[in-house]
Amino acid sequence: MSEDLISKKDLLDLAGISYGQLYRWKRKDLIPEDWFIRKSTFTGQETFFPKVKILERINKIQMMKENLSLDELADMFSPNIADLQLEKDELIKRNIVSKTVIDYYLEIEKGGPEFNFSRILEVYVLEKLLQSGEINLDEGKMLIQVLLDNKSLIKQKSAELVITRKLGVSSCFLIINTESFHFERGTKIVAQLSLMACMEEIKSKLL
Amino acid sequence: METKKRGDLLINGFGSSNGGSFNTLTINGKGTVNGDVNCMEFDCNGTGTINGNVVSNTAKFNGHGKIKGNLESQSLTIDGTAGITENLMVKKLKVSGKANVGGKIKSDEIKIKGRLTVGEDCEAETFKAESQFTIGGLLNADLVDITIFANCKAKEIGGQTILIKQKASLLGLLKGFIPTQLETELIEGDKIEIENTKASMVRGNNITIGPNCIIGVVEYSGDLSMDEKAVVKEVRKA
Repeated sequence: MSEDLISKKDLLDLAGISYGQLYRWKRKDLIPEDWFIRKSTFTGQETFFPKVKILERINKIQMMKENLSLDELADMFSPNIADLQLEKDELIKRNIVSKTVIDYYLEIEKGGPEFNFSRILEVYVLEKLLQSGEINLDEGKMLIQVLLDNKSLIKQKSAELVITRKLGVSSCFLIINTESFHFERGTKIVAQLSLMACMEEIKSKLL
Repeated sequence: METKKRGDLLINGFGSSNGGSFNTLTINGKGTVNGDVNCMEFDCNGTGTINGNVVSNTAKFNGHGKIKGNLESQSLTIDGTAGITENLMVKKLKVSGKANVGGKIKSDEIKIKGRLTVGEDCEAETFKAESQFTIGGLLNADLVDITIFANCKAKEIGGQTILIKQKASLLGLLKGFIPTQLETELIEGDKIEIENTKASMVRGNNITIGPNCIIGVVEYSGDLSMDEKAVVKEVRKA
């Protein structure tokens, strides 16, 4: 994946943070290990970061560290979430999902009204894609099936969800830790969604 | 955790046991535990081997201990020798003997007065060492305070305050014969004070370079002071 990279020195200048802060955040797992990209340059080894991602993350950290401690922040960014339980009505009230979508989800999944984080994520993804009009109800059903079948995978890794359509037939992929993927001509990528980003969105809505 | 109902596991002399949950686990002779262990107190006074992961509240090695797996504990004191083949996660780590960790260390407070070998990264809030150590990855701590006793090595050192001092030599005679130094590729921090250090790159805000340093490139943004006896190839002001 050819991403725009930024060197550590430029990053510190640009974001106005110190080495101490950067290393502290790394220790607290606020910045994922695999964002530290080592490259040799003419001055020796240098560390680079994916520019867009790291700046966005630093922005978030700086904005939120006023109200939250670093440990709370770490909980927020880490993919393994604390035992969170929310009622169905609570989710609707907090504007995370709409009532129609949650009812549709429950119809497929046949679970109780208590939502833990992985179920919140599933319903949130469904909501997001249905509301944007990118997928239809049948595709939503398929999507939930994929998420349910691979529940354990989603929790640990940075997973990405891809929905494609070709000649009117749609399929849904769950892609774990890939750099890139390609399809044959004529396949249309209908929706692509990083589950990691979704988790962060949910968490920022919950806090 | 329900700890009242748990039993103790005590091995005196030769013995072996399976893992499980215990209140205290004590090995006084030569003991082997096969399987994961979860306990409040882990005490190893003889030669102990655990073939599995250990989760405990306090852990103590006085003899020769070996864990083939991960160790997770609130506190860990090593007065003898200890080998942990995978990762070590402890709040408080104190090493007075010799410790060998194959994976990485994640801790709040690390105090070393012996010998430490780490295969991968070593992370802590404070890292205090009066010793010899080898770290295969990054040494990352808010405060790094090192007094060099023998040759030290770390791939990289990063943090807020980094202090590296040479041990005050009592035997002035021996000084010339045993050159000791710290070797690393990169030091990055806000406040850096180093002595007897060999590094290819030093980056930071306020940097003090003491005697007997051999540095490739120094990059600083605040103040820089250099000792006459330091060798620095290139200085850049950011």
